[in-house]
Amino acid sequence: MLEPILGSKNAERVLLYLLARQQGYTREIARFWGADPDSVHKQLSRLERGGVLDSRSAGRTRIYRFNPRYSFIKELKALLSKALSFYPQNEQDRLLVFRRRPRRKDKPL
Amino acid sequence: MKIISEMTRLELAAFISSAFQKSNIDIVLSGGSCVSIYSEEKYVSGDLDFVNVMFTKRDRIITVMDSLGFEEKNRYFRHPDTNFLVEFPPGPLGVGEEPVKQIDEIKTETGILRIISPTDCVKDRLAWYYYDDDTECLHQAILVSKCQPVDLVEIERWSRVEDKTDLFKEFLKEFKKRF
Repeated sequence: MLEPILGSKNAERVLLYLLARQQGYTREIARFWGADPDSVHKQLSRLERGGVLDSRSAGRTRIYRFNPRYSFIKELKALLSKALSFYPQNEQDRLLVFRRRPRRKDKPL
Repeated sequence: MKIISEMTRLELAAFISSAFQKSNIDIVLSGGSCVSIYSEEKYVSGDLDFVNVMFTKRDRIITVMDSLGFEEKNRYFRHPDTNFLVEFPPGPLGVGEEPVKQIDEIKTETGILRIISPTDCVKDRLAWYYYDDDTECLHQAILVSKCQPVDLVEIERWSRVEDKTDLFKEFLKEFKKRF
């Protein structure tokens, strides 16, 4: 939807993922979209350098989120929300409906 | 002119700032070093963060820094004669929702430093407290407010725009406790 503005399909995917899930890491985002992890990582790094995202380490994983101090954050999120509403309903559900509650380690499924 | 190894933080920042002004590149000191300067080093930051206001291309920044003897490594710049790390985070120059409108200038024997005002410095620190619960930055905001004249009415207005009036009250309570 926003590729003509953002200049990259994976930039849009990264931003939509973080909009829906609040945070994410390279492999998780790449796996969700079936995208190349290197390309996703490149976009995450680029957006972080630009101040749009920030990140923190959790063990060996770098977790990204929107930078809450980015000056255009409200407007960007509004644009992304509108773009997301143009996605097919099943794609929206796939992004927005997910488990966040904890699961005990070693618990049988 | 002093050599870099003898420059204070303020003098080094002014030296770098002036070199960029000569090249018509708009950079403004923001971040922790402003706290250090405004608190007369009661807080010590190891970084000099110059916001690249107009998104000047990296090559031009590297050229100026190279002419001053700084070398780039992992997007930071280092000089063999100082421990300060210099970085150029991208613009826009803003605090939370709003653009920074007033830039202060501090004249030193090594040049003129363009720097955010003490009031914007407090807002910048409070943004970290407001959005990341960073209490270290809350204390930095209090430190600057104690050492410099700041516009608390303006900071309250800004906090309202950011929808953080409750946290502003916390700041004010802590500030009054220490003043």
